[in-house]
Amino acid sequence: MRIDTFRRAIRLLGLVLPMTVLASSAQGQAYGIAVKTNTVNQKLTSVVLPAGEGTASNQDQSASVPGFVTAQDLFAIVSGDPDATDGSTAVSSATLGAVNLLNGLITADGVVAMASSSGDDAGVNSNAAGSSLANLVIGGSEVSDPAPNTRMNLPGVGYVLLNEQLPSGDGVTTSGMTVNMIHVVLQQPILGLLGQVTGYRTVGDIVVGSAKSSVSR
Amino acid sequence: MVRLRSLGLLVAPIGVALVAWSCDRQPNALAPTIGTPLAHFNEFQCTPLKITGGGRIDYPPGSAEKNPPASHLYETFGAHVMDDGDCSPEKGSLEWVDHRPEWRINGQPLNLHSTAITFAEEAVDTDCSDGAAHWGGTLRVQNTGEEAEFEVFDCDNGEPGVGHDGFAIRVPAIGYEVMCPDPDLPPAEPACTLTGGNRQFHPTHR
Repeated sequence: MRIDTFRRAIRLLGLVLPMTVLASSAQGQAYGIAVKTNTVNQKLTSVVLPAGEGTASNQDQSASVPGFVTAQDLFAIVSGDPDATDGSTAVSSATLGAVNLLNGLITADGVVAMASSSGDDAGVNSNAAGSSLANLVIGGSEVSDPAPNTRMNLPGVGYVLLNEQLPSGDGVTTSGMTVNMIHVVLQQPILGLLGQVTGYRTVGDIVVGSAKSSVSR
Repeated sequence: MVRLRSLGLLVAPIGVALVAWSCDRQPNALAPTIGTPLAHFNEFQCTPLKITGGGRIDYPPGSAEKNPPASHLYETFGAHVMDDGDCSPEKGSLEWVDHRPEWRINGQPLNLHSTAITFAEEAVDTDCSDGAAHWGGTLRVQNTGEEAEFEVFDCDNGEPGVGHDGFAIRVPAIGYEVMCPDPDLPPAEPACTLTGGNRQFHPTHR
């Protein structure tokens, strides 16, 4: 009886251990610009971490989604490795030079989005260190070094989230981070019977400088 | 059955010995010397290794603090290398962008893209707690199409990578280097401390 139990335990270990190894993962992606509305759906200078360890990149000297955003010097880089033995890592970055959103409503001359995740036997963690915005101007006013998830209203347009940081994972076996340096949420007013504004509905998104990383162990 | 067991007893120690031998450190690194000797990263050995990740450096000065964003004094990169212990890597890649205004070439930030990784060796005389490597090969300057040799000094100094890990690069043929040979700076010369990202050293086979 005890031998049978022992055999079952060994069999279970044989099944579980390889699954544990396979379960380790590292994922990363980055892009320079994304615009999504009812009529436009574009993602430019985009790159995704290839399966297995590796580095991948994409670049454009300039990019434009007419009426929404123009940008120069776009680079997207991802690098990482899912390694169950020595620890997994994923690092993603998107960098841009001069950017112009909504015909000058928002401008900046240097955008860095960086997301980093790592995990080993000691635990998993993610951060957005290295992200920055240079010479950001919104509606004619300079905004310096915005704190994570800074929200500013854009009358007639919607609102903008600056240095948007979206952590993910359970913090024990999985961890991830998404960084969107400029995220404009386009909104339209909802009108009541008397023409009064009763609310707003989202009709689109513009993201400039996005990096995402995650690991599991 | 007894014969099989005897055979197993005979073969098992040989297998263990072979694995141990394959993981043994082998001296005599084969890396070419393309620069002058440095304060650290002087002692190397051929051993199985893998180092991956990417990041940001704010050079100059290359310390753990970010420069003001408007200065554009920063570099971003992704890089990995994998070697099975003969100092001749099986895989590897480097992507490097220098955003400094003085390094704009042909209207774009300096962009270096590796075309071949020809050597990788573990550096055993550094302060990098989790491991360090010296590796390199040839790259293409994307702005001009020029090919050049390069070397990097790669340091995993614990978690998180920001403020701890380090990276440095030298491309002598185009007079370019991002190196921080200041003995007062962590983690170890000549690597510049990351202001974002992470380097992960994988001591494969250990």
